[in-house]
Amino acid sequence: MLRIDGLTVAYGGPPAIENVDLEVGAGQFVSLIGASGSGKTSVLRAVTRLVEPQAGSVHLDVPPGDIGFLFQDDALLPWRTAAENVALGLRILGMPRPAALRAADEWLARLGLSGYGHRYPRQLSGGQRKRVALAQVLARTPRLLLMDEPFASLDAIVRVRITEELLGWVERERLAVLLVTHDLEEAISLSDVVYVLSRGPRAGVRARHTVAIPRPRHVLDSRADPSFGPLLQRLWQDLGEPAGDSQAPPP
Amino acid sequence: MTKAALGPAVRRAAALLVLLGVWESASRAGWVDPFYAPAPSSVGSVLLALARTGEIWGHLEATLLAALGGLLGGLALGIVLGFGAALVPALAELLEPVMILLNAIPRVILAPLFVIWLGIDLASKVALALILVTVLIFFAVYNGIKEVDRRLVERVRTLGGGRGALIRDVYIPSITAWVIGNLKIAVGFAFTGAVVGEFVASSRGLGYLLQFAQSTYNAALTIALIAVIMVFALALFALAERLERRLLRWRYDQP
Repeated sequence: MLRIDGLTVAYGGPPAIENVDLEVGAGQFVSLIGASGSGKTSVLRAVTRLVEPQAGSVHLDVPPGDIGFLFQDDALLPWRTAAENVALGLRILGMPRPAALRAADEWLARLGLSGYGHRYPRQLSGGQRKRVALAQVLARTPRLLLMDEPFASLDAIVRVRITEELLGWVERERLAVLLVTHDLEEAISLSDVVYVLSRGPRAGVRARHTVAIPRPRHVLDSRADPSFGPLLQRLWQDLGEPAGDSQAPPP
Repeated sequence: MTKAALGPAVRRAAALLVLLGVWESASRAGWVDPFYAPAPSSVGSVLLALARTGEIWGHLEATLLAALGGLLGGLALGIVLGFGAALVPALAELLEPVMILLNAIPRVILAPLFVIWLGIDLASKVALALILVTVLIFFAVYNGIKEVDRRLVERVRTLGGGRGALIRDVYIPSITAWVIGNLKIAVGFAFTGAVVGEFVASSRGLGYLLQFAQSTYNAALTIALIAVIMVFALALFALAERLERRLLRWRYDQP
């Protein structure tokens, strides 16, 4: 579905990421973890062509219209209502406006926001805005989902709820996902494969782990799986941090 | 108006009435010289006389036409130039220093030049109001485009949107917000241009009447004219505010 070979991205100075190899198979949930500033986001920016890579290549088996990208911030247009924001993604794909608005309303209802379509982003809570952004992406029925710490700004309860909904959707529709996150527990509980990125600059893939937790999964139940603890420990070691202490300096 | 907003409005109106009452009494009691500060009642009768003789309407029409012409022309020119400069770097190179210079000087000093070029009729007043508004709107549009939220641009691009979608869904709404946000200031500028232009040289308009009142040391007429200009500027202000609340609903609507 997505294959990245020898990817190098620089913004003027030394490369943020260097020689990154990564693969996301059809229906596979892949996470890319790393410390803040390790250049995780650069990988996604290169995939979506928001930056031109210095070296390496990105191979996609899907047309651009089949890729959904969920940002760290919701980035909704403040001057468009929730429904218009969702419809925007469909209109860009060529759907006429009335049909796009109808579909938008259905998607908002599906994500628990029926009756909120006419509100502007500033009239919605953080969690509601995130659901609108999610509806905007899912309404286009993507086959590959790229996510950049999409729920980092939400409080814990809302975050678990939205993540659970997204997980259900991904498993039902067998979507391929590349999730960038610094939350190791989230990465394990959601993914089939976890890539660990070393610290930047010149960040590269340090390790690749497969997650053995069976599907379908639930965000909280996954953490009780016997393989969860040992894998978490390994990821901490890969990141060069003693387990459970993110403040310690790297060895 | 909500109940909470009614309190201050009532208090302000009451304060104004008290002030006018004190002024009227002081004038009648002979504590202030009516030559300098004529009583509100005599200002009122001057206003009534102006309306009754019909003398004021022609002047009012001239000033309003000049202000509106300058406002609309300035909006159009400012938007076109601002858009052009933001999209064509070569144009920005030429326009930016000129606009910065025009912004730095008190633009009303151009009034005598416009009289020489365009005569003492309406055209020179429209031109002055227009230049005042154009510079304001130019910067609103130019900065509006340059400082458009990059995250929104990237969002539309990752959804597959091209130049057309960016202009329709990001740039135009963003610029509208900037222009409308400056509309009230533009209304004030347009009136300044029109009245100052008439002040400098004209045969019609509220500025001309003001000039006449001043040269004859007619304080009552002067105050009456200031009141008229205030009322019209406030009316246009209110109109601009309604437009702002309508077009920028996304910014004002309560949850």
